[in-house]
Amino acid sequence: MDEQQLSREDILSMARLAGLHLPASYEDELVEAYDHVRRLVALLPQPRLRGDEPAHVFDPVAFDPTTG
Amino acid sequence: MAPDRPFLTVAEAAELIAARRLSPVELTETYLARIAALDDQLNSFVTVTAERARRDARKAEAEIMTSGPRGPLHGIPYSLKDIFDVAGVRTTAQSRLLASNVAVEDSACAAKLETAGAILLGKNATWEFAHGGPSWDVLFPPARNPWNTDHSPAGSSSGSAAAVAAGLAAMSLGTDTGGSIRSPAAACGIAGLKPTYGRVSRRGILPNCFSHDHAGPLAWTSRDLALIMTVIAGHDQRDPGSAAREVPDYIAALTGNVEGLVIGVPGRWLEDELPPSPATRAAFDAALGVFSALGAVVREISLPSIREYHAAIRVIAVSELFAIHAEDLRARPEMFGQSLRYRIIAGGLVRAEEYLLAQRARTDLARAMQDALAKVDVIMLPTSEPAERLQPVHPASLFTPSYTSPFSVAGNPALSVCNGFNEAGLPFSLQIVGRLFDEATVLRAGDAYERATPWRQRRPALRSPAAREPRASPETSTA
Repeated sequence: MDEQQLSREDILSMARLAGLHLPASYEDELVEAYDHVRRLVALLPQPRLRGDEPAHVFDPVAFDPTTG
Repeated sequence: MAPDRPFLTVAEAAELIAARRLSPVELTETYLARIAALDDQLNSFVTVTAERARRDARKAEAEIMTSGPRGPLHGIPYSLKDIFDVAGVRTTAQSRLLASNVAVEDSACAAKLETAGAILLGKNATWEFAHGGPSWDVLFPPARNPWNTDHSPAGSSSGSAAAVAAGLAAMSLGTDTGGSIRSPAAACGIAGLKPTYGRVSRRGILPNCFSHDHAGPLAWTSRDLALIMTVIAGHDQRDPGSAAREVPDYIAALTGNVEGLVIGVPGRWLEDELPPSPATRAAFDAALGVFSALGAVVREISLPSIREYHAAIRVIAVSELFAIHAEDLRARPEMFGQSLRYRIIAGGLVRAEEYLLAQRARTDLARAMQDALAKVDVIMLPTSEPAERLQPVHPASLFTPSYTSPFSVAGNPALSVCNGFNEAGLPFSLQIVGRLFDEATVLRAGDAYERATPWRQRRPALRSPAAREPRASPETSTA
């Protein structure tokens, strides 16, 4: 999907798929807010190499009762 | 000469209490009387626990008279941002969704302060769930700035900063996800510390954005913050983000000496990407001049774009906030204030790939920050511009970069101290950022600056009810 071409209806459809069945009075704010989020995503460096640092590192020490 | 009783610093009050020249009962009554007389101008408290405070003050006084104080916070009245749980007291997060929410267990911070003998005065106004505001369509009205009640105390630890600055509490705890301790401290002319991520337990605090939430203190001085950190810092097995790192002696670090301290200034941010106003820049340069006169060395440093830091935290925050509030957003979105709903609802449309992209960016950006701090001892820059007028703002304002959020992304300790006042009498602010887990150096620099400058002598002047005129323009709802 070319995100630059997302229409208002596309965005509202995505919202419905996310379980957001919003009153019509909230639709404008969702469309506007999502535009801000898309601009922010565009600022993130990409593409990434396959072997790049994983985003999350699970630290078992944090859950080990013997380290309290 | 020490300030009037309600404006004593924590350190001054602790010294007087230890010498039995100040009664915790009288100090508590002073604050309760001021809250009753003045807080209708500020809206800084949403819950006042007066009877509990009086009971605890009597208990503290009896114990101190018999066997001396347990420590420097014994008998010191304080307040908590209304997202910290205290057993038997409501935690509302300023939200209509939690109007009747009464906590069953103390947050880790509240429990530590209780053990230290501090006296809870009540809970402070915040932005809705520490993220949406200022708002007039939520459970309580927004807090106001004691230096000028037509102005904002910033957010989201708004009430905490306003209460301390107004002499309604000696100290307070807040939380900081992208600047929510530092910005209110800056707007209200007090000191506020976002510790290193994981340094202070978040257990029992309502979440804003799990991966960036920090708890920390607000008070008049860096020395006060050091006293509070001595009590609240430390590992907590029940907070998965808590760090098992030794807590140093923060008070011993306050030597007043910054000779040889190397200060890094992010030139590109301040010159090109997000230049401050001329007045804020002049106040910042004057502060650097104070440090230079004290023997510190100032160098320019290079950091990644402030916009990248901002994008990473906002994409992560909107996603995590949506996950936290998804059930309510789907079932009853009208229960949220418009500001918070606008700021989080699009999180439901962020793809997993985009969230992970932001987390990967965070890893790179945090590394770059530590690389920069390997070459200098601290980074300095303004915390924010002086306080704006309190009025409805477009919720998209949060989607613009700030000087505070990069250090939330990187997890580094960051302190805001007052570095002067503008022509309207509103405070300027200086941000001091340190290496991971090196709050001690940050506090040493803040303390040295406060000792070398006159700004800690000034206090806001709130008028008593009889001397007031009605406020001219009532606020309107943003809904």
